[in-house]
Amino acid sequence: MNPFALIIIMLTVVLGTLIVMTSSHWLMVWIGFEMNMLAIIPILMKKYNPRSMEACTKYFLTQATASMLLMLAITINLVHSGQWSTMKPLDPTASIVMTLAMAMKLGLAPFHFWVPEVAQGIQLSSGLILLTWQKLAPMSILYQISPTINSTLILTLSILSVAVGGWGGLNQTQLRKIMAYSSIAHMGWMTAAMMFSPMMALLNLVIYIILTTTTLMMFMMNSTTTTLSLSHTWNKTPLLTTAILATLLSLGGLPPLSGFLPKWMIIQELTKNDNIILPTFMVITALLNLFFYMRLTYSTSLTTFPSTNNMKLKWQLNPTKTTIYLPPLIILSTLILPLSPMLILLE
Amino acid sequence: MALIYMNMTLAFTVSLLGLLMYRSHLMSSLLCLEGMMLSLFVTMAITILNSHLILASMIPIIMLVFAACEAALGLSLLVMVSNTYGVDHVQNLNLLQC
Repeated sequence: MNPFALIIIMLTVVLGTLIVMTSSHWLMVWIGFEMNMLAIIPILMKKYNPRSMEACTKYFLTQATASMLLMLAITINLVHSGQWSTMKPLDPTASIVMTLAMAMKLGLAPFHFWVPEVAQGIQLSSGLILLTWQKLAPMSILYQISPTINSTLILTLSILSVAVGGWGGLNQTQLRKIMAYSSIAHMGWMTAAMMFSPMMALLNLVIYIILTTTTLMMFMMNSTTTTLSLSHTWNKTPLLTTAILATLLSLGGLPPLSGFLPKWMIIQELTKNDNIILPTFMVITALLNLFFYMRLTYSTSLTTFPSTNNMKLKWQLNPTKTTIYLPPLIILSTLILPLSPMLILLE
Repeated sequence: MALIYMNMTLAFTVSLLGLLMYRSHLMSSLLCLEGMMLSLFVTMAITILNSHLILASMIPIIMLVFAACEAALGLSLLVMVSNTYGVDHVQNLNLLQC
């Protein structure tokens, strides 16, 4: 893509999200979502082929519907309260409709059907933006309306999402679909935390973004999109196999890696409020997530998969990809757990 | 509650159902998107006129502008689908299924 056009489009995506996160007028929130959606469609279609066109169409339809539902919620709020401020509590009906709209934007179950297909049809770099940056704006709106969210609704969305994210990813070999189901499950954890402590939901979002960015950048380094080509990493860059092992286990939520921190905090918040069955169910379905990450690490890091060439290592030519962000991200995605006492600053 | 609100909510719901339950054409879902926007436009305009929120009178027009941009984007995606397959049937969008 023309670099000037790419810069302008990326700036519009960033600006749209920032407008959503910092507005105090509901119309500006809607405008931010529209700008975001309009600008990200060219990014999703960086490489033009029928799959990316289909992914863009599906993404556009779901996001446009969600934007219209958001506008309905804003209009209901206007009719019942006569004002447009985001600081004031929402009318209950408007809150339900807005939660549904944000669930469609995030890809929570039962509105999750677009996430694997859209993630599959686009480039890895576009998938990175789709799975990380696009979650910021809807989560910030959920954070702002969290005092008035109907708890039954968000509990339903959360339970369905962790279940779908766990079971849906079991039969996948395409890495982008695996990351999509991982995204659905993590969004389920975030909305469960939103009921009791929105701050822990934001913590989960930040650590999820770091982990997903690391994982997708490692995939981008080898340009792998299937489990089979990921399993040839030992042949190309052996050091990356260790990093993939650590990062995928962290994504699955194993202590003592970073991914355990949000799960631990969320379970703590839920049990503080005498809620035992929900965290038990969520932890058990997180085991399903861990299973398919372990399957990836088994074929990639723990075994030397049969490959096509007969050498121990391929020719170490000069690398052409920029991997400058990868080492700090790997450190961040595996070693943050000792910093958890700093969470006392959030109180 | 005045009858107009129920009327427009019904219009929005019918358009939403039309968006979600189309048979084969992508075009009908784009039209229903515009129908949803229209019902919200009328609701908002009537609420603003009724409560004499004079400064908010530009808000329905701004909403119209952004919805028109969105419709243009939807139409361009429809044209791309139609370039590849000849028709805009949604059964053709099945390359990415699990």
